[in-house]
Amino acid sequence: MSPPLLEIEKLTKSFGGVHAVRDCTFAVPEGQVTGLIGPNGAGKSTVVDLVSGFGEPDSGSIRLAGEPLVGKRPDVISRLGLIRTFQTPREWPNLTVMDNVLLARRRFADESLWRCLTRARRIRRDEEADRAAVRGILGRFQLTAVRNELASRLSGGQKRLLEFARIAAAEARLIILDEPMGGVNPVLGARIGEAVRQFAGEGRTVVVVEHNLPFIERTCDQVVVMDLGEVIAQGPFAGLRANPRVVDAYLGMDQSHA
Amino acid sequence: MTTFLVTVGIGLSTAAILSLSAVEFTLEYAVSRIANFAHGEFLTIGAYVAYSTQTTFHQNVAAAAAIAAAVGAVAGLALNAGVIEQFRGRSAITVLIATLGVALIAENVLDIVYGAANVSYNFAQGELHHVGPFLWTTSDIEVIISALAAAGLIYLLLQRTRFGKAIRAVSQDRSLAQVSGIPARRIVMQTWALAGAVAGFAGFALADTVGTFGPLLGFNFLLLTITATVAGGLGRPYATLGGALIVGLALQIAGTYTSSAYEFVFAFLLLVVLMLFRPNGVFVRPSAVAVRA
Amino acid sequence: MYWVSVVTEAGIFAILALGLDVVWGWGGDFDLAFYGYLALGSYLTFVLSIGKPKPPVEYIIGWHLPVLLSIALAVVVVVGVAAVVGAIALRNLRGIYFAVTTLGAVSALYLLVENYTPLFDGYNGVYGLINPGQSALNLTYNGYRVMFLVVVLVLLVLAYLLVQRLSRSPFGRMLRSVREDERAAAAYGRPVFFAKYRAYLFGAALAGLTGGLFAIFISAFNPSAWTPQELLVIYAAILAGGRGNPRGVILGVFVVYIGFIELTRYLPSPASRPDFGPAMRQILIGLMIILILRFRPEGLFRERPGLDRTPAPASQRVAAPTGARSEERGTSERATREEGASKAARRRAGEIN
Repeated sequence: MSPPLLEIEKLTKSFGGVHAVRDCTFAVPEGQVTGLIGPNGAGKSTVVDLVSGFGEPDSGSIRLAGEPLVGKRPDVISRLGLIRTFQTPREWPNLTVMDNVLLARRRFADESLWRCLTRARRIRRDEEADRAAVRGILGRFQLTAVRNELASRLSGGQKRLLEFARIAAAEARLIILDEPMGGVNPVLGARIGEAVRQFAGEGRTVVVVEHNLPFIERTCDQVVVMDLGEVIAQGPFAGLRANPRVVDAYLGMDQSHA
Repeated sequence: MTTFLVTVGIGLSTAAILSLSAVEFTLEYAVSRIANFAHGEFLTIGAYVAYSTQTTFHQNVAAAAAIAAAVGAVAGLALNAGVIEQFRGRSAITVLIATLGVALIAENVLDIVYGAANVSYNFAQGELHHVGPFLWTTSDIEVIISALAAAGLIYLLLQRTRFGKAIRAVSQDRSLAQVSGIPARRIVMQTWALAGAVAGFAGFALADTVGTFGPLLGFNFLLLTITATVAGGLGRPYATLGGALIVGLALQIAGTYTSSAYEFVFAFLLLVVLMLFRPNGVFVRPSAVAVRA
Repeated sequence: MYWVSVVTEAGIFAILALGLDVVWGWGGDFDLAFYGYLALGSYLTFVLSIGKPKPPVEYIIGWHLPVLLSIALAVVVVVGVAAVVGAIALRNLRGIYFAVTTLGAVSALYLLVENYTPLFDGYNGVYGLINPGQSALNLTYNGYRVMFLVVVLVLLVLAYLLVQRLSRSPFGRMLRSVREDERAAAAYGRPVFFAKYRAYLFGAALAGLTGGLFAIFISAFNPSAWTPQELLVIYAAILAGGRGNPRGVILGVFVVYIGFIELTRYLPSPASRPDFGPAMRQILIGLMIILILRFRPEGLFRERPGLDRTPAPASQRVAAPTGARSEERGTSERATREEGASKAARRRAGEIN
């Protein structure tokens, strides 16, 4: 088992008296795909928000490669090497597809107002390397033809692909996907599964929050199961069917969203 | 002590007008989800209408008030049909700017018709009365009473009538209300007519209180209205009444101890402070509008 | 000479509009306090260069610095004030809340200046900066005005080049991404507040500069120069020209300031209503605002993102023109294709707020 990249310990968060997450503890090993599943209301999305900085836990700790994340702003956490998606694709609508993915390259130093005014030519040259890389990525995700279109013009499926193109361009250490299969047809679903395995193949760590259990089974090396804010099981997918707590929570593992 | 109470007394009169204006502003927001920056124009129109009728109706207060309200209602309907509904589904800022355009037009039309110079509205103020520790003119008392009455009627309307329930449904979720059988568009129209009417009446009361005014009367009062609305919380009619009271009093008190010219400065600084710490109203716990980054 | 005056004024406001567009067009923040920075820049330029006040006139400072230095200092102070306002308003507020807060701030300033005479002599305002350096340069009055027009136009071109460069740069792209979706921008490591803040200060600096230019142009400044009605015109001009498009913004200013002024100059004013002309102009501007927002919210020139041109293989590559020009050729194809798109999609594409 690889060492854990992300460690979550005794994470707790309530909203107005209701415990969304309670004493949640699990670790995500590096370089593998970990699923995070559970019935509705289990607290999965809250965990994702807390890890990525879009909300602060009441107690508990979160560490990324040993670095504590609690209390940090979402952009700071992102710069530590985390990329997360949201339940609906959040592209930047009035920017081109190319710009959307270029932004994922995150050359923060070049985004200084002063530098852009004084060293515009050098920045433009350096950007060429990024553009070439992004063109390759766009090709992988079949977005080359629309690269100069505004992202708002894309179809739903293309927006999902754009999301993955951005993730690929970001070259992140830890990728958290929040329900990537929402409203996705099987063909697109297969491509998404491939992309997820490819990220792991590149040595990145992926966490997938999903309801689509066949997808989880196909892509994940291990799974964390949550229910009512707590972690109730961890381990390879195969073992979960036999776990009575998991079966209980799901009222039958066969109820999957295919 | 007496100065303080006298101040409070005057403050109550301004607060009364402010509360009427603010309640309508907040209803407009509730029902159409926009900040109507032409709202002040309802008051200005009401004031000018009252001014125009003061000769015709020989100081008949009731007539002036009624006509101001009627014209205000028409203005509300016109604004809703001509602008607000046209911009349905657009961002709130877009509509805000559009209403600013309307305000610009209204102010300059009034400028052309009545001239840019201040006009004066001469109603007999009546004698001073000592009502408990407060010092009010008959006019002041009339204004306060009618404002209270209007507020009471609005409360009854919102809580006890089907119309009120429909307004509340539409302000929560317009499509859902429509689907449940509520004629949303008609309710919205009627709410705007009501808003215009009350605001027109408030304009008349304001004209009565300040005496002289120009085409910018309502627009200047608009920021105060917004401050009161924000203090109460956008979209919350009852809390807005409380907000108006707070603002009206704070205004008058601050103004007496420095100079009445600085009243407004305090009001706007109060607005800024409110926006920073309590953008959802003083009665609600704050929640951020922006992403924490 | 009339035209010299009109074009100079339009040029000054074009620079102002470029600054406002950075905050509003690229950043997406409807800042109603912006004109206040111009006012402050103007006032400060005066009180730093016209010397001590002679009673009953009163105002602060009252130094006798060379006017260029005064403008520079004025810009510094204005940016300082913007730093405070921006730090407060940009942190947690967006949309209407931000707009209302900035309106509150500028209204408070306006009323303070109007009533607290020791500051800038209240309603009377400051005056006396008439063609600074005219005798030193050995020019006639008209000669100076023409020279000043040239200076303004040169500054406008410089400002345009600078702003255009910034617009096409990573900073411009990053700022727009924050406007488009803050959550996503933060999730990709962008410091949302800091990005908007930098843009805000940049815009304020331009506003302060134009304040100084305006001071020279108009040789007096008082509250009537920055009433809410005046404020609105510059926003209308940006709306008309096209938010987020520096070229469009400049064109919008020239169209509104020159076009509308000329349009209404020839309207007859009845003797009883001398301000019929100006009032009609405002009415037309109000109508224009509503119509543009309703039917073409993106303005005359919509925001044009830089297009990606795949570089030709090395053997075929000729000394390439600057990125801007090659992007433009691509844009015209793009533009014709875009015209074919549905109206609703176009409006959505232009809905930047």
